[in-house]
Amino acid sequence: MAIGAIGKSHPRIDAVGKVTGATRYPGDQNYDDELWMKILFARRPHARILSVDISQAESLPGVVAVLTAKDVPVNEYGLQIPDQPVLCGVVSGKQGADIVRFVGDQVALIIAESEKIAAQARDLIHVEYEDLPVLTDPRQAMAPASHCLHPHAPENVADRHRIVKGDVDSAWANCDVIIEGEYHTPFQEHAYLQPEAGSAYLDEQGRITVRVAGQWAWEDQQQIAHALDLPPERVRVVYDAIGGAFGGREDMSVQIVLALAVMRLAERGIQRPVKIIWTREESIIGHCKRHPMVIKSKWGATRDGKLVAAEVDLVSDAGAYMYTSNKVLGNATLTCTGPYEFPNLRVDTVAVYTNNPPGGAFRGFGAPQGHFAAEMQMNKLAEALGMSPVAVRLKNILDDEKLLSVGTPLPGGVSLKQVVEETAHAAGWQTTARPAGRSKPPALKGRGFAAGFKNVGFSFGYQENSWAKVALEGTAQIEQATLFIAGADVGQGHHTAMLQIAAEALDLSASRIALVVSDTAVTQSSGSASASRLTFLAGNAVMGAAERALACWREEERPAVAEYTYLAPQTMPIADVEGQPSTPNFAYGYVAQSVEVEVDTETGAIHVIRVVSADDVGRAINPQQVIGQIEGAVVQAQGYAMLENFQVEDGYILTPHLSTYLIPGVLDIPDQLDSIIVQHPDPRGPYGVRGMAEMPYLPLTPALIAAVHDATGVWFDDFPLTPERVLRGLGKI
Amino acid sequence: MKPAPFKYYAPTTAEEALAHLAEHGYDAKVLAGGQSLIPTMNFRLAQPSVLVDLNHVSELFYIKPGGDGGVLVGAMTRESQVEHDPLIAERAPLVFEAMPHIAHPQIRNRGTFGGCIAHADPAAELPAVSVALDARLRIRSQAGERWVSADEFFVGFFTTVIEPDELLVEIALPPMAPRSGCSFQEVARRHGDYALVGAAASVALDHQGRCQRVRLVFLSVGEGPVEAGRAADLLQGQFPTPEAIRAAAETAASADVDPGSDIHASADYRRHLVKILARQSLTQAFDRAKGIGG
Repeated sequence: MAIGAIGKSHPRIDAVGKVTGATRYPGDQNYDDELWMKILFARRPHARILSVDISQAESLPGVVAVLTAKDVPVNEYGLQIPDQPVLCGVVSGKQGADIVRFVGDQVALIIAESEKIAAQARDLIHVEYEDLPVLTDPRQAMAPASHCLHPHAPENVADRHRIVKGDVDSAWANCDVIIEGEYHTPFQEHAYLQPEAGSAYLDEQGRITVRVAGQWAWEDQQQIAHALDLPPERVRVVYDAIGGAFGGREDMSVQIVLALAVMRLAERGIQRPVKIIWTREESIIGHCKRHPMVIKSKWGATRDGKLVAAEVDLVSDAGAYMYTSNKVLGNATLTCTGPYEFPNLRVDTVAVYTNNPPGGAFRGFGAPQGHFAAEMQMNKLAEALGMSPVAVRLKNILDDEKLLSVGTPLPGGVSLKQVVEETAHAAGWQTTARPAGRSKPPALKGRGFAAGFKNVGFSFGYQENSWAKVALEGTAQIEQATLFIAGADVGQGHHTAMLQIAAEALDLSASRIALVVSDTAVTQSSGSASASRLTFLAGNAVMGAAERALACWREEERPAVAEYTYLAPQTMPIADVEGQPSTPNFAYGYVAQSVEVEVDTETGAIHVIRVVSADDVGRAINPQQVIGQIEGAVVQAQGYAMLENFQVEDGYILTPHLSTYLIPGVLDIPDQLDSIIVQHPDPRGPYGVRGMAEMPYLPLTPALIAAVHDATGVWFDDFPLTPERVLRGLGKI
Repeated sequence: MKPAPFKYYAPTTAEEALAHLAEHGYDAKVLAGGQSLIPTMNFRLAQPSVLVDLNHVSELFYIKPGGDGGVLVGAMTRESQVEHDPLIAERAPLVFEAMPHIAHPQIRNRGTFGGCIAHADPAAELPAVSVALDARLRIRSQAGERWVSADEFFVGFFTTVIEPDELLVEIALPPMAPRSGCSFQEVARRHGDYALVGAAASVALDHQGRCQRVRLVFLSVGEGPVEAGRAADLLQGQFPTPEAIRAAAETAASADVDPGSDIHASADYRRHLVKILARQSLTQAFDRAKGIGG
């Protein structure tokens, strides 16, 4: 492999290890003298801690240490803002750290000779709580009379946006048809295969070393160092193999507490590795979820299907802490009017603190919720106008010139028209009026359509960056190269893709390229495995480092070593001055999908017959991995749409196991899934790459629900479409 | 997790197994395919001090024709073997139809026919099927053996008439009468999951085409297999017209079952499914009895 290394389905370099079991995930790291840690979770949604008595737990034989809030040097953390205590408790330097704000707040750490002893000791800790009123409805939490959950957020508002364009109020008069709806989206649990786990120890240089599975090693290092009040270089983060992430590993879970345990034990003269593996229940309670949102939409259009005006009010349940709620809200704000041009609009969005599990990053990052409302509106508009959902989209879809809600065009080449047309063509929308073989009651067939777009990379003013290093060895010829990168391979195949890009850029066989990955002792920041960003950002970094290393090689340097940090074009926050244009993002990806279903109108069961998904990926570095991402996204979104029913009551999680929270199995996926790879290059992406991992998630839910409507004549404005919800919608129960 | 410590016996004959059971009584648990017992032991929900493993008792693995035209199934016969057995397909079509609904192939490869029945999970398929078919169950102890009909076998939630010193050794599936038919239907949230509701119907017609025998049994709506006696009474002696079947299905839902709500479905939805599955299974069973359809 060399020139021509990209564009080929190179086998995943991690495949054999994962299939044979040789690959080591964080929970697989064993040490002769290891200690085990258990965490005492609060398991109540809102309470003040009056006292924590650890005396019984400490005296249990085999217990090495019990740590509480008073043991945390800087008792706060958070990816966006440090609004969450590391450990909730009375004695701590952090104001408000004595308050438990959701069931997954951590109260104490127990380090013992075995996991069993640690668990026994955990149950011997006596915490005295004073329960506080529980806020579960974000609309209620915003009311002035509500209890304030965070001192920095009066009225519990975590973040808000307003976009105004044109003159909405007078535009309704020019509309022939107006569509109004109120849409509710549910929680979703990441349910990655590998629950949170990790180990920590002092390395040979005395650094506190944490081995975990995360999404951004450098950022983990910063957050650990902040909470421990240490310089970052005293903390080392190493990623073992990562068993799925989907956004759920962006925020801290076991990282800080593992490091804290090692630090405090070392102070007591104990230098032994500490290990933790969360159970599935701890994982489901302990990490964030996809934000539930309530979105009220009013859209108006002319008789011939031209969009005139939109008014959207969106409320997002941020849960107990910020996590990435502000950034998720930004994406929901941009996508809740869909990939369409409106001359007039007003969009008001708000994220609100409650005592529910925190909303955080999850594949699509606000765009699935925004798209659900937008594409439902578009499909209802098509119905009201008697137009095809394809035709009405093509009339309004964004292109290189049309303006997004924020008053600027989308950068990087807009292929929305192409993905809509490719999907429509492949799924037969232009030729047949109905799916073939339409069945008789009680089984009814239908089909639905939706499109989508989403930004690539962190943005809204954040200066995107990604680091890579290349070292070339040899004498006359390059014999060996080493590629240093810190992007997390969360299962998406990032390391393989970067190896292919390095092979292409160096014109060197991949077999001669060694990889050094995600170890803050030797790698810097490649940025997060998030926001469909790694192939675009890290790919540019690898190309840049390879070019510079080759230049050094030509200058006769041996070894020739070069680092490069790619800086993406600058972006800006959504303007807070009404009507002022902004460019919140530097790159986008595009998608359209068609879904065919069969609905059993007696049982309410939905069977997905076929999905067609056309995705513009700019350039497919590894087509097989691209198709894998499309298929994975469609199945995950199908779970969101019909099956996954995360239930929270009064702040308590009712579905903390995979027996109660159901995700699709291999027999529950669509009968047929046609992935169409569209390659409309982004001039700034490496070899034309766009990000793509989230986009095929976005249109599936509204397309599927449109298909159910096509079959039954009923619109469902909330989901998941469990058989029971379908039957209630049909008026059968 | 791993199970709590236990004593393990691997007898090679039924006689030997019965001796262990006689000795250890309530302390002993019988291991058949282990598809329910081992997970509950690993979670430490069950902590038997003695395990009597029947997997080496070769005399309990068989499917053979019964002298009456039915089928005799040894208790340790794997579910996957039953699923693919031509004699079962021919002589016990209700069993044949229900088998693929039991979890996944990997589980059916280990799970046993007798183990499933003796475990008496109210959400399991085979207890309901055995009641619908009037299966007879042979139970042995050191003192001798006795036969129990399926409808007397299940006592309640995971409970049967088997005494601690007894072993279920054989299930006798009776022959299909002339002009008889059966049907199995179920609805689950996902493929392979426990059913929200399942229905097993077995019917026979007389010479005039009237209902001579109706057995309609539900799973997942009570503490064990739940027989829809009132619905059956309504059909007895009647012509199975669509109206009669519809009325019976309504009666089954309103008078024969009292399902509960849980995280996966409400009682209302389960009751609705009882009505739908009663109608579908009865309709198909009567059609088959008349020689209509597959």
